[in-house]
Amino acid sequence: MKFQDYYAILGVPRSATQDEIKRAYRKLARKHHPDVSKDADAEARFKELGEAYAVLKDPEKRAAYDQVGQNWKAGQDFQPPPGWDAGFEFRGAGADDGLDASDFFEALFGRRARAEQHYRGPDRSHAHRGQDHHAKVLIDLEDAYHGAQRSISLRMPALDARGQLVLQSRTLDITIPKGIRAGQHLRLAGQGEPGLGGGPAGDLFLEIGFNPHPHYHVEGRDVFANLPLAPWEAALGCSLNLPTPEGPVQVTVPERSAAGRQLRLRGKGIPGKPAGDFYFVLAIVLPPALTDADKAAYRAFANAFHFDPRATPAPSRKVDPR
Amino acid sequence: MSTHSTRNMSTLIVEEEIQLTLVELCQACNAPAEYVSAWVYEGVLTPSGQTPEDWRFSGESLRRAQQARWLARDMEVNAQGVGIVLDLLDEIAALQSRLQRAGLR
Repeated sequence: MKFQDYYAILGVPRSATQDEIKRAYRKLARKHHPDVSKDADAEARFKELGEAYAVLKDPEKRAAYDQVGQNWKAGQDFQPPPGWDAGFEFRGAGADDGLDASDFFEALFGRRARAEQHYRGPDRSHAHRGQDHHAKVLIDLEDAYHGAQRSISLRMPALDARGQLVLQSRTLDITIPKGIRAGQHLRLAGQGEPGLGGGPAGDLFLEIGFNPHPHYHVEGRDVFANLPLAPWEAALGCSLNLPTPEGPVQVTVPERSAAGRQLRLRGKGIPGKPAGDFYFVLAIVLPPALTDADKAAYRAFANAFHFDPRATPAPSRKVDPR
Repeated sequence: MSTHSTRNMSTLIVEEEIQLTLVELCQACNAPAEYVSAWVYEGVLTPSGQTPEDWRFSGESLRRAQQARWLARDMEVNAQGVGIVLDLLDEIAALQSRLQRAGLR
């Protein structure tokens, strides 16, 4: 596991006050929040920020981190020295937002700290329910159309029989229900953190996302695909056999179709009640004029029309009503 | 690294097949019940049922409660502020999907 420099992640010096850490975190968190930022790595960055802040905002964790962190630089291989946390007592739970923290964080502040806290804590006679865990899983769009059985593998730190921290990898065979959409969650009862003192295990929540697809773009239940057309196909109309995630369909492109027009196939989006719709978004592609014959054809085309594209008002994009 | 595998998981879609009690929602989003109650009284979350014991939250509440918890804990936004921020985020998402649909993005 790699050493994480939490100060560098927040862009503050090691001498930063708690107020400076809070300000730095909030500024960066606002910028990188996945609901706001459209950067591809916003989610990873936001998670990293949250983890750095969870440690540095808490004076106890920060002091422990400072002690262990003196001898490491970001990215170096890291193993917590034995007994590194002696003398520190962590009041809060480890990854206290239940999100999937890095191995590094878990090694320092994760389940081990929670377990030790439990054994010396005042309520050792009480059974304690394990925390709910969260993870994100990417599936293919086709899985949402047909349903699927998928094997997913998750890693989490756990204590072995001797109380040493080990990384445990587990494989879950799960059923992807037909009709699931990006952003929805699956709940796997009892697959979260094991309970302590005989308490029940927590649940595992899997947030579903779609792998990027070269042809399809998904918006909620609706699925979009670009449909490139030659100018004559758009002008005269045509009938095409086209692939969709459900299989090939026969599509009629009406004559005088403009670029940007959307052809809707009702109910051919992600299945469900109601099912989503599938849209072909028309694009017009001009053949390149490469040879003399091509150029002659374009000239004949020009002579056949008395057409000035700048004389007519720009056509408004036509969107089929939903 | 040790490995074990678990077979035959039964999975439920939270957003469609599950209603959560107050206790379950608190566990799933790791927020104290006082926070969740405050969000209900501000209209951020709208469970069915009259009293906290009877509240049943739709599965859609999970994402909203997770966002609310982040705003409340890390950004120290109060319950009214959480309501405003979440409504604005919803509106941005709706506008972005309209843009996308119109082929402008």
